[in-house]
Amino acid sequence: MANYFNTLPLREKLDQLGVCEFMDNNEFLDGVNALKGKKIVIVGCGAQGLNQGLNLRDSGLDVSYALRKEAIEAKRDSWKNATDNNFKVGTYEELIPSADLVANLTPDKQHTAVVSAIMPLMKEGATLSYSHGFNIVEEGMQVRKDLTVIMVAPKCPGSEVRAEYLRGFGVPTLIAVHPENDPQGKGLAQAKAYCVGTGGHKAGVLRSSFVAEVKSDLMGEQTILCGLLQTGSILSFDKMIEKGIDAGYASKLVQYGVEVITEALKHGGVSGMMDRLSNPAKVKAFYISEELKKIMRPLFQKHQDDIMSGEFSRIMMEDWANNDSNLLKWRAETGETAFEKTPAGDVKINEQEYFDNYTLMVAFVRAGVELAFETMVEAGIKAESAYYESLHETPLIANTIARKKLFEMNRVISDTAEYGCYLFDQACKPLLADFMKTVDTDLVGKNFNEGKNGGVDNRELVHINEILREHPVEIVGRKLRKAMTAMKSIKTA
Amino acid sequence: MYQPLVHISNLSIKYGNKTVLRDLNWVINRGENWVLSGESGSGKSILLAAIAGKDTKHDEIRVNIFSNNQFKPVCLYISQWYQFKNLEGVANFYYQQRYNKQQAKDTFTVGEELALYGKENQLDPAELDEILTSLNFGSFKDAQLIELSSGEHKKLQLIKAVWLKPQLLLLDQPYTGLDINSRTNLNHLLDQISLQGVQIVITCSENELPVCINKYAHIENGQVKELDAFLPSIKTIPLITKVPSFLQQAPQPSAKVMVKMVNINISYGDKQVIKNVNWEIKAGEKWLLQGHNGSGKSTLLSLVNGDHPQSYANELYLFGNKRGSGESIWDIKSHIGLISPELHWYFDKEASVWQSIASGFFDSVGLFNDLGYHKTQQVNELLDYFGLTEDKNELLVHLSLGKQRLALLARTLIKNPELLVLDEPCQGLDEQQTAHFNQLIDGICSTARTLIYVSHNQQQLPQKLTHRLVLSKGEVIENSTYNLEKELA
Repeated sequence: MANYFNTLPLREKLDQLGVCEFMDNNEFLDGVNALKGKKIVIVGCGAQGLNQGLNLRDSGLDVSYALRKEAIEAKRDSWKNATDNNFKVGTYEELIPSADLVANLTPDKQHTAVVSAIMPLMKEGATLSYSHGFNIVEEGMQVRKDLTVIMVAPKCPGSEVRAEYLRGFGVPTLIAVHPENDPQGKGLAQAKAYCVGTGGHKAGVLRSSFVAEVKSDLMGEQTILCGLLQTGSILSFDKMIEKGIDAGYASKLVQYGVEVITEALKHGGVSGMMDRLSNPAKVKAFYISEELKKIMRPLFQKHQDDIMSGEFSRIMMEDWANNDSNLLKWRAETGETAFEKTPAGDVKINEQEYFDNYTLMVAFVRAGVELAFETMVEAGIKAESAYYESLHETPLIANTIARKKLFEMNRVISDTAEYGCYLFDQACKPLLADFMKTVDTDLVGKNFNEGKNGGVDNRELVHINEILREHPVEIVGRKLRKAMTAMKSIKTA
Repeated sequence: MYQPLVHISNLSIKYGNKTVLRDLNWVINRGENWVLSGESGSGKSILLAAIAGKDTKHDEIRVNIFSNNQFKPVCLYISQWYQFKNLEGVANFYYQQRYNKQQAKDTFTVGEELALYGKENQLDPAELDEILTSLNFGSFKDAQLIELSSGEHKKLQLIKAVWLKPQLLLLDQPYTGLDINSRTNLNHLLDQISLQGVQIVITCSENELPVCINKYAHIENGQVKELDAFLPSIKTIPLITKVPSFLQQAPQPSAKVMVKMVNINISYGDKQVIKNVNWEIKAGEKWLLQGHNGSGKSTLLSLVNGDHPQSYANELYLFGNKRGSGESIWDIKSHIGLISPELHWYFDKEASVWQSIASGFFDSVGLFNDLGYHKTQQVNELLDYFGLTEDKNELLVHLSLGKQRLALLARTLIKNPELLVLDEPCQGLDEQQTAHFNQLIDGICSTARTLIYVSHNQQQLPQKLTHRLVLSKGEVIENSTYNLEKELA
């Protein structure tokens, strides 16, 4: 199989990368009708598989689960998840042939094997649905020409997909139809109906393409979402230890700090986050994030280039073939860092303190979000797609760090994201070595405002505010966040 | 030198913008056990939390704990709200999550939670067994915290408190959600630890108090007044304002039989929580649903409300349609006005009173839609009726539990539903408010409207109940017509 994107002429590449439409509510008035009475068979019953299935069934659709024979016989967790919730469960052979829509919700790495196994069993004219386009775009999976191929990708962990649905809301969702596989022209209607079934239509739906989804998703997760949060966290922790800050305090500040800081990002964008700093701290954070952007831009560009050319997926698939040897090695190394091994201290840090004492992370986040966004847009990805894959997802990932640090983040995200995260982290740390020498505890560990008089130059502040608020990620963000006004605050204790 | 256990002088506390306690003075001497009554929102909870020094320390309050006492030298406050966290230390659960089974283990089991608690506080495990037995909680050791009902969570919270034997135990509405036996058993336990030297302060509006209570007080206008005897609440609110016009006429029933359950069974692994339940609710009937804590009431109601995944594997008819025949849970909920302790617990506390009531039109937790003129008027009418107009822009989190509950009761009624499912609707309300609410329910439950009402309190029920279903350990032990007057006679 050849990389699908690379087989396309440039014109077609740009076309597909540029598919991006923020859909209006009244495009979903037909509800779930396009799938009503149809047999939906979900392959895989992990967090996404189970929770999407629960929602679809509660929306009045007919859902069952096809699992591998071994998983059923051994009564694995996927089998228990499905049967404990009273779903019908069967083997591929039993359920796939009668399915009108097969939703492949297995991990990326299994896609080729799973799709190769189910495709011959699928009935003429049925639909195959994905939640991520890697298999189609990067691995170049060729799907039978009579089948329709769609994607419905909720931009949240599976448990959130369920929780938001039961509140009567949903999570932002991306939908797409693969242009090579839409023989009857029914793909979009079905993708919309699926999206309504999971509740996604209430929280903002972006119509994208397989290509745009993959190329932006990979870029976001490798750079700002996971890579930079990892690098920034480790460097911040090490700096505090070097400067004699109490290790327990440092550990807690880093573990929970990204979550608190990006919660402000979620509700108010980059400028909302920066507004949480005092004026002098904001001015300082602005200048160091400018410097960080300058230093890291070539690295962000390299990641985007490797993603576009297929180089990234090529080397990652080599590692798959090599029993994940690099991935496992890097994962183990992350588990051994000083930050990971130092438990959060039993100290109370109030919400504002996370901003005042961790100005460095605010600067990291601003630099990372803007760089990822700018680099994606320069590469032909539309602003709305770039927003989802950079700013929108950052708080979700930060939440996993707050739970159990970086090891947990890397456990929760896909192996693909994890692999890219390590690549970024390893390249980024040496790049920032000189910069980090200039950082002192006023930026990380102690209150930036301590011992300062708090004054700033009016014109300078106005100018900085203007730059922050007029950045394209803020302009598109204001529009998209309006559709997501009911976003829930993540509650940690 | 003799010092009282608690000495409060000139305490004033603001909650939000309102001064709740004003120049309050109160002394709790050695050997005294108090009951504190007062209207909902009078500041009872705030006072207890302040004595325990929960959020801030108040210089006006001195608590003189003996350090050589044989009991834990602590002052423990048990709030009305129970709390628990998942294994990752996050208290981020969603409504009805306990019915969605997932292999990934989310929370501790009751046994693990208690073992950890005992270890942290160096408690004797032998004493625990006795407490568990007397509150009928022994069989819950393997249950995950997420699986417990609200009454069971309440019990767990009280079990921990009794086990700890703090020097001063402050219990805020401890009977809320407990069945009658558990209330009696709790009183026995409290009497036991009080004999051993624990001093107790209870806020409640119940008549059946532990024997050890020997002091009575009422809280009013921000001050504590000592009384000669227990005074549950003073009736001051004038009855009745006019029922909003849109509620006076119930909608036409959508089916002759609203709910039909045929041999319903629900199990979690080996544990069967509902056994062969048959239940038919015809349009216009008014049912009282009763049973001990953990008997399966909430689970049964979750079937009615479309919230239980196992309803797809059972023979269940709602509003004339077989469950799982293509309807969505939102179709089902559109017929129902629901309130339950769990709905309240999981409700979005960042929503304003107005949004909370309005969200009842869409059965959502939080408001995601615009209302338009007509519906907006209805919300305003109900706000007025429930006396919440002044608070309409307040976030729930800034209101007393009683007021939060009033807002959620208004939410239950806002769409003038044909079926009302009221699962312990009056928790957190004082006697007067409860009587008022039940009167309203009687007023709007004309022949057309159907009602399911759950309450442990036989004294405080609507008058119009016609039928009763009683559950015990997941089985129906009574299914009959009902007449409240006869019952009380």
